[in-house]
Amino acid sequence: MTNYLEVKNLSKSFDSFQLHNISFTLPKGYIMGLIGPNGSGKTTTIKLILNMLKRNGGEIKIMGLDNIADEQKAKSELGVVFDTNYFSDDWQVTQVEKSISVFYPNWKSERFAEMLRKFHIAPTKKVKELSKGMQMKLMLACAFSYDAKLLILDEPTSGLDPVSRDELLQILSEYIEDGEHSVLFSTHITGDLERAADYITYISYGELFFSGSKDEFVDMFRIVKGGTEELSADLKEKAVGVRTFPTGFEALVKAEDTGAFSSLSIEPATIDEIVVFTSKKGDDYE
Amino acid sequence: MSNTLKATKLDFSLVKPYIKVIGFTMLLPIAFAAINRSILTGVSFAMCFIAMTTGYTFSVTEKNSMERLYGILPIKKSEMVTGRYLFVLALGALALVVSLITQPIVLRVMGESVGAFDMISAAIGGLFLFALYTVFQIPGYYKYGAIKGRVFMYIPVAGFLATLFFLPKMPADNPIVATVVSSPVLLIGLVLVLVAVMYAVSIWFSIRIMENKEM
Amino acid sequence: MKLIISNVSGIPIYEQIKQQVKAAILSGELKEDEALPSLRTLAKDLKISVLTVTRAYTELEQEGFVKNVQGRGCFVMGRGSELMREQLICKVENGLTDAIKAARIADLPNEELHRLLDILLEANKDD
Repeated sequence: MTNYLEVKNLSKSFDSFQLHNISFTLPKGYIMGLIGPNGSGKTTTIKLILNMLKRNGGEIKIMGLDNIADEQKAKSELGVVFDTNYFSDDWQVTQVEKSISVFYPNWKSERFAEMLRKFHIAPTKKVKELSKGMQMKLMLACAFSYDAKLLILDEPTSGLDPVSRDELLQILSEYIEDGEHSVLFSTHITGDLERAADYITYISYGELFFSGSKDEFVDMFRIVKGGTEELSADLKEKAVGVRTFPTGFEALVKAEDTGAFSSLSIEPATIDEIVVFTSKKGDDYE
Repeated sequence: MSNTLKATKLDFSLVKPYIKVIGFTMLLPIAFAAINRSILTGVSFAMCFIAMTTGYTFSVTEKNSMERLYGILPIKKSEMVTGRYLFVLALGALALVVSLITQPIVLRVMGESVGAFDMISAAIGGLFLFALYTVFQIPGYYKYGAIKGRVFMYIPVAGFLATLFFLPKMPADNPIVATVVSSPVLLIGLVLVLVAVMYAVSIWFSIRIMENKEM
Repeated sequence: MKLIISNVSGIPIYEQIKQQVKAAILSGELKEDEALPSLRTLAKDLKISVLTVTRAYTELEQEGFVKNVQGRGCFVMGRGSELMREQLICKVENGLTDAIKAARIADLPNEELHRLLDILLEANKDD
């Protein structure tokens, strides 16, 4: 199995925040969702992968290359999309190509033109005249023009409407269809990943909560629902998180612990629910 | 094309919106040259004005959060920094050439004579001034950003003005000073070497700042 | 072939795929040596993860319904409908055994059990 991204024991210390021992592996041909509450370290992790921040410990390999020792070689295989575009607002789309393409030996102009057509981006428009969704697609168009093998997206869908979000997932599914490309998709809108992600890495408050297949992640938990009187002390103790309200409760319980509560309503958990319950939240949650 | 030159080209594409302003800064000094009837004045102002435009690449980068683009592109930080210095030097050279072409014409029309000596001393003086303005500014921009970095431009200006004030008061009978002043070739050579060293040190500092910077 | 995934049925998606493939084999809709949809294309079309489809196809292969040919795809095994039928007959046996056990506990005589079976068969005639 060829791994396109290997992160081992990654650590980074800031004054107010610690990223501690993060490890995960993304094999060739799959989509990995990087999830966690806001501020948990997802963007920090991505910046460390790009060597935009200096790590305090650990190892990062992109396509088998060390991300610092072979930084340039690694970056020529990497496509990156951020939540806002990183071009000059004043550039025309054609200028974007002129400015960026020289840095990538594999850049194919025909491919860029094809992507612009596919995404309906007018070449003469200035970056600031494009909608947010178009700007996101422009970053993708660039990455596809030099056939980036690993695509890293950091909150690409924040601020986008559901149609654009769906389009992006469609584009990503096509991107990995030949089995030769991988995607690391960091988002707090986990609904986008519910179906399409193959792997999930969940970082919570700087710590690694889980990394593995999405199906396995979702299967680890169940949602148990019932009336207020049915919330036993045993359930409260076993549950990962409980939300109570006047007419009843909902609890996230590990699948293996649900046996004792089979009389109550037991449902599969969604990624969203798992993240919400496992990040310590407000007064309603324990 | 080497990565360094690609970075220089990238910088040119960043300042496109400011082309008119930059063009204006290259032509306005003609007025100063005319007022003072001196090409040295004109060139000094030209270098000063063009040095003030070096901040544009930094402010455009900051406004668009383009440091992320630099973080993504397969290019070394040292190449990025050197490329920017080349860009700044290119602008300076362009301003100098424009001044040395346009100002003598205007001055001659006004009846002033502009000889080879005037042109050369203006060129050398202009080069030194430009170096002085920029070698402090650029590391300042890299370290503190486009807005705070501006401050660094005024320090050498103050130093230069102070030197101008104290220079006439220096003993003219110092043997080293006498030798240098009497040989134009030696003077030019000295200035060129000095400028080269200033830029080398400045680039070294800028690269170190960038390599340690967290984006 | 028709493959419809439900998000709300509570049945894991890989299980749904397996069930529908098996049903298609049994009904003859999928014939011997016929290819299943390409794994990645199916994942893309149904908007589900590649790993999920992989699991479904792998388990189908383990259970003997399909054969995965490296680089060429997944093909229906000849014994598919037989296997499916065997599995269903097994299900009938298990169901009947459960019914017998329950009847014993309830002290239901065998004739009553037979009668119940006939009534239910009649009632479910049009299924």
